[in-house]
Amino acid sequence: MADTDHHVTELVEKARAGNRASLGQLVDRFHKDVFRMVYYRIYSPMDAEDLTQEIFMQMSKSLSSLKDAGSIRPWLFRIALNRVRDFRRKKSILSFFDTTIELEAAAQAAPENHNNPANAMMLKEFQLQFRQLTDSLSQREREVFLLRFVDHLGIRETADVLKRGESTVKTHLYRALKKFRQNPGLHDLLKGGLL
Amino acid sequence: MNSKNLHLNEDQVIRSVVDENDLPATVRNHLSTCLVCLGEKKQIEQELSTLGRMAREFAPLPRREVRLPFYKPRSLWSRRPVFAVGFAAVLLIAGIWRYALVTTSQEKMMSQIMWETKKDEQLMAEIYALEEYAPVDVYPDIFAESDVGYFDDFLRFVSPLEVNQNSV
Repeated sequence: MADTDHHVTELVEKARAGNRASLGQLVDRFHKDVFRMVYYRIYSPMDAEDLTQEIFMQMSKSLSSLKDAGSIRPWLFRIALNRVRDFRRKKSILSFFDTTIELEAAAQAAPENHNNPANAMMLKEFQLQFRQLTDSLSQREREVFLLRFVDHLGIRETADVLKRGESTVKTHLYRALKKFRQNPGLHDLLKGGLL
Repeated sequence: MNSKNLHLNEDQVIRSVVDENDLPATVRNHLSTCLVCLGEKKQIEQELSTLGRMAREFAPLPRREVRLPFYKPRSLWSRRPVFAVGFAAVLLIAGIWRYALVTTSQEKMMSQIMWETKKDEQLMAEIYALEEYAPVDVYPDIFAESDVGYFDDFLRFVSPLEVNQNSV
C-alpha cells in the first residue's frame, strides 16, 4: 500500500512537472474510482461519464495547485463532489421545467454488464436496497457513509474531502450506521453476499 | 465494564466500528477480550465490507476513455504576453504622467508671463498717464525733487550784483 502511495505521489510530481505519460497513468489509476463515486451519487452512467471527463479535465488544469502530492485522492474526490453538486443544482433547475429527465436517469441507472441471471437479480435487489438506505440518510450522513464505506476513504480523508472536522465526520458516520443497522432488507442481502 | 458478562450495547458497538479509539479505555479492554462483542463488531464490519464490494462489483464500468488536453506547466518565458502588457501599461502611465507634468509646468510659465505682462502694462499705463497729464506749474512745489525756486534764490544769493546794478 505504501509502495502504491509512493508510486502515486511520484506520478503526481512528474505530471506537475509536465510529464504527459504520468498524467495519463494518474487518470488510469483513478478513472474507475471517480466514475463509481459519481455514479453512486447520480445513478446515471451517461452523466457519470460526462462528469468524470470534466473532473479529470479540472484535475489536469489545477494539478499545480495541489499542495501535498500524497493527498491527491481526497483532493480529486473533492473536485468530484463539487462537480456532482453543480450537476444536481443544474438538474434541479432543469427538472423544474421538465420532469422527463428524472425518468431518463432512472432508466439509465441499471448497468447491464452482468450476464449471470442470479447476479442480475441480486444487482436489482442491491440497487433497490442501496437506494432505500441512501435515501433514508440525511445529505451529510449519506456523503460520509458513501465516502467511508463505498469509496473506502479513511476518516481523515473523508474529513478533508468534506472540509469538516474528524469529530463531525464520526458523528454523521455513527448516525448513518445506526440507520444502516435498521435496514433488515439490506442486511439479508449482505449476508447472502455475491454469488 | 468490569464484569465480563456486561457486554457492549448497540451504540458502543457502532462507535467501535466508527473509531475504536473514541471508546473509554474500560470498554476497549472489554472489547479486546470479549469474543461476543468482538464478533458483533466484526459482523458489522463484514457487512460494510460486503456492501463496499457489491457496490464496486455492481457499478457499471465507464465506456469512454478520458481525453485530456495537455496543460504544460507555465514557465516565465511562456508568460511573455503578460510581461508585454505590463510593460506597455508602465510606459503608458509614465507617458501620461510626464505629459501631465509638462502641461502643468507650461501652464505655470504661461501664467507667470501673463502676470508679468500685466504688471508691465500697468507700469506703462502709469508712465503714459504721467506724460499725458503732467501736473501744472502751480504744483511743482509739492514734488520733493523740484528745485526750480531754490535755484533762483541761490543765484540771487551768489550774485547780488543784479540788485546793485538795479540800484545803480
